Parts: sequence; structure tokens; C-alpha cells
Amino acid sequence: MNSRERVMKLFKGEQIDRVPCFSGMGNVTEEGIKQLGYKFADIHLDAKMMADTAASTYKLFGFESGVVPVDLCVEAEALGCEINVYPHAEGILYPTIKKKLVHNEAEMEHVKIPSDLASKGRIPLLREAIKLLKAAMGNEVAVGSYVLGPFTLAGQIMELNDLLKLSFKKADKVAKLLDLMADAITIVAKEYEKAGVDFITVREMGATTDVLSPRVFKSLILPPLQKIMKQLKNYSVLHICGKTNDIVTFMMEAGPTAISVEQKNDVAESRKKLGKDALIFGNYDPYNVLVSGDEELVRTTMRKCIDDGVSAVWPGCDIWPTVPPRNMAAMMDEVIRYGGKK
Amino acid sequence: MMIDEAKKKEILDKLKNGVIQYDEDACKEGAQEAIGGGMDANEAIFDGLVAGMEEVGRLFEAQEYFVPEILMCADALYAGLDILKPHCKQMDLGVKGSVVIGTVEGDVHDIGKNLVKMMFDVAGFHVYDLGRDVPLDKFVEEQLRTDSELVCLSAMMTTSMIGMPKVIEKIKEKNPECLIMIGGAPTSKELADKWGADGYAADASNALKEAIKMVSFLKKLRDEKMQKQ
Repeated sequence: MNSRERVMKLFKGEQIDRVPCFSGMGNVTEEGIKQLGYKFADIHLDAKMMADTAASTYKLFGFESGVVPVDLCVEAEALGCEINVYPHAEGILYPTIKKKLVHNEAEMEHVKIPSDLASKGRIPLLREAIKLLKAAMGNEVAVGSYVLGPFTLAGQIMELNDLLKLSFKKADKVAKLLDLMADAITIVAKEYEKAGVDFITVREMGATTDVLSPRVFKSLILPPLQKIMKQLKNYSVLHICGKTNDIVTFMMEAGPTAISVEQKNDVAESRKKLGKDALIFGNYDPYNVLVSGDEELVRTTMRKCIDDGVSAVWPGCDIWPTVPPRNMAAMMDEVIRYGGKK
Repeated sequence: MMIDEAKKKEILDKLKNGVIQYDEDACKEGAQEAIGGGMDANEAIFDGLVAGMEEVGRLFEAQEYFVPEILMCADALYAGLDILKPHCKQMDLGVKGSVVIGTVEGDVHDIGKNLVKMMFDVAGFHVYDLGRDVPLDKFVEEQLRTDSELVCLSAMMTTSMIGMPKVIEKIKEKNPECLIMIGGAPTSKELADKWGADGYAADASNALKEAIKMVSFLKKLRDEKMQKQ
């Protein structure tokens, strides 16, 4: 069973030899970028560089997926925001939104999805990168892509501060905007599906219960998420950050194939709540364990994830590029050794 | 005209409840009444507005309030504070400080930073707010320019938090006595220790306590030095 077969069988709900170790979120490494001779700021703007870098984590460490894009600004840029890739940064800085689309409450009603969204911004570049990645290793390893969730995307095209307050004061207006965001996200996700991805992760990081109440999550965030999931043809994963124990059932109700949770989720608890067949991916801390931890911490954390009952060992967020290669190796080794015993 | 105790309590309650119920008008009204009645502005701020914010903090911990509510409470607090501040006498906190604050480059989130800033505003600190997505060197320059005792670095994303140790190192190199606080969801006490930061706060209410503790400590150090000389 190769990595791709293992991951695809997992999504299908079929028997596999061990839990896979992969991610649907960013997982490029400085080691990979260095060996390719690229610069971090450049890989966001070039399909070949993006695909090469995405493939390098599998090639170097056996990590069981390849994922593009690397940053979180693709959809907002296609909708008309300006981004900053920090071309002169020495170290690693992820692109951010420089210019927003909506500057006040009144402008919320004027947001429109361009009729040619699929050819805006870097969407064509992403299609190309997915194709290249598929061609490079699509038979051996699952190729994934990600989109933002509607609330997280709305928080990029307008001030998050305003969005949060309005989601309380003017929930109707926010619901309307999120519905529109869901349509935009679906268009982008379908482009990725057409280009050949095996699975798509919807990253609704902004709607964590650290920020919004479970009640608001259910009334405001769940409907547009369901709208997206219904229209996706391939396997899907819904990721939400923070203390998600109170909303894991809502996350499942959104209709993804699997849910992804971070280290603040008590997975043993979630497993009890959702039953043995639910696909729960998680939930190690990609910074405090994988980057700054030692090999021993990496190994014990992997075992804990598996003991708690994750369906796949998967990080709580992007893998941070400065991860020491020896920790990546320890992670893979431990999951391969221990991941079939449960 | 001085007001009696009953009226005073009524005004303080109005300010406190105005913050808790995110009622900007009530806070403005309460603040005006306090000034009109000759009340001490500091008292109105601390026993009214801040008392309300403390309760908001409790409601947040109890998960009755979430971030949207806190942001609205903060608006209400500022509505009162803007009226009261010009009438404040020198704050009697035992400390007086200035602080450089900002969100590190690569991070455009500033909600946490703004809440911390609010607490410094309330406490009478002079705040140099650099905003968000701030180049690392800017923190160092601004600290030197303003000779601030405190620098606060905020990051909401793990991906941007990584700039922090560089800033801490550079500031400490030029000005070892400057105290540095880091804050934001991905930070931790362990990281603060490892990077040589003096304080850490995952949220705004902790940040103020930490900040006052740190400035008092600094003051003590300076006093001791003076005595030796």
C-alpha cells in the first residue's frame, strides 16, 4: 500500500495498515526550499516553484501528501484584494492582505463575485501548480489543496474587528456576505477539483470558539459551510483552530468527509462524542512540538495523537518551514512504527 | 458642586454597567455626569469603567461573552474614557510609563493588540502604537527614540510569531533594561522564557497586570542603582 492508496482508502472508510501522516494545510519546509535553491517569497508566484516545493516534503521525508498553495491569500486576491508577499524579507514571512475590499458596513452590500473569478489573481497559477504536482508524484501520494472558510475569507476582505462586531449587531448582513463568500469559495474549490486534487481542506480558522460562541457558530457559520461542502465532489476536510470540543458535532454537520482539529482539542473526548467511524485528523502542535521540541517530544506526541484516536496524524496548523529535518524524520518514523498497533 | 455618595455610586454603576452592556451612550452620559458633579476622573475610570471591564473579563472566562462582545465593551469604555481623560490628574499608580506596542510584520491582526493598548491607555501609560504588520527594526528604532520602558509585541498567527525573538534580541542588545512583553494566541510562557522576553500574556486582562508588575520592578531596579551611586 503506497501513501496515496493509504490516504484514499482512509477517506473511503476502508481498512488500512496504519494511520497515515499527512496534512491538507501548508507543509513546505525550509530544507526543501533550500535544496531547490528557491526563495520563500518567490514560490507563491510561480507554478513550477510552488509545485516543486510542495513535492519536496514527500520526497525528503516521506510525508504523505503534497499541498498547494502555500499562503492564505489566494481567494481574497482573486476577489480584488491586494497582497504583500514581502519580496525583500530575509526570513520566512507569509503573504498578507495589503488592501481590503470592504472599508465600512455600507460597502458590505456592494461586494460582487467577478464573473471570471476562475481566471482572476493566482487561480490559473494554482491550477497549473496542481497539475504539475499531480504529474510529479500523483501516483504515489495524495495531492491536496485548500480554501478558506467563508468567515475567515470575509475577515480578509474587510476589517476583522468590524466583522466580529457586526456578526453580533447585524447578523443578517453578515450572513448575506458569508453566503456570497461560500459561492466564491465553491468556485475556487471546483477549479482545484478540475485540476485534479484528491482532497480539499476548508480552513475556517477565523471562526474558532476562542472567538465566536458555539451558538453564533451554529447560526452564522454552519449554513455557508454546508453550502460549500454540498457542492464539493471530492473528499473534503473541515479545519477549525482553537478549543473545538464544543463544536465538533457542528463541524460534522457541515458535511465534510473528515474534520481537522488542533492541539487544544481533546481528541479522546471528540472521539467519544463522534463515534469510532468518524474521521478525525489531528492534532499535534506544529510549532511547540515539531519545531522547538526534541525528537523525544515529537515521538511521545505522535503516540499520544494515535492513542487518543486520531484517524490520521495531522498538524494543528501549517507545518512551520523551519522544522528541523531530524524532527520530521522522527515524526514519520514514529507514526510508521506505532501507527498500525492501534 | 460636589455630589453626595448616593449620586456618586449611581454614576459609577452607570459607567460600569455601560461597559458591561456595551452601551456607549450610557458611558458617555455617566462620564459627563461625573465631570459635572466634580467627581475625581481617575475614580470614575477605575471604579467605573475598569470595574466594568473586569466583569467583562470574568464573563469572557465563563464563556458567556466572546470576542464580538468584548470589542463592543471596549468601544463603550473608550466612549467614557475620551471624556474623562482630559480631566485626569497625574495617575497615582505608583508607576508611570511609556510603551511601544505593535503587531509584528507578517501579521495583520490587531484585535488583541488593541485590547492590550486599551488597558495601557486606562492606566495612564503613554502609548506609542505602531499599528500592525510592523517591520521588526521599527520596534527597535521606536524604543530608542522614545526611551520607553516597555515594548509589547503581538502576533495572532504562529507563522508571524517567529519574528519575535529577533526583535527581543535587538532591543536587549541596545537597551538591556527595556522590558519586553509578548502576547497573542500562539505565544506561551515557555516561548517567552526561551526568547528572553520579560512577560507574556495570552489575553488583554493578563497583559495589564503583567505590565504594571514589570514597570514596578524596573523602577525598583533603578532606585537601587541610584542608591549605590
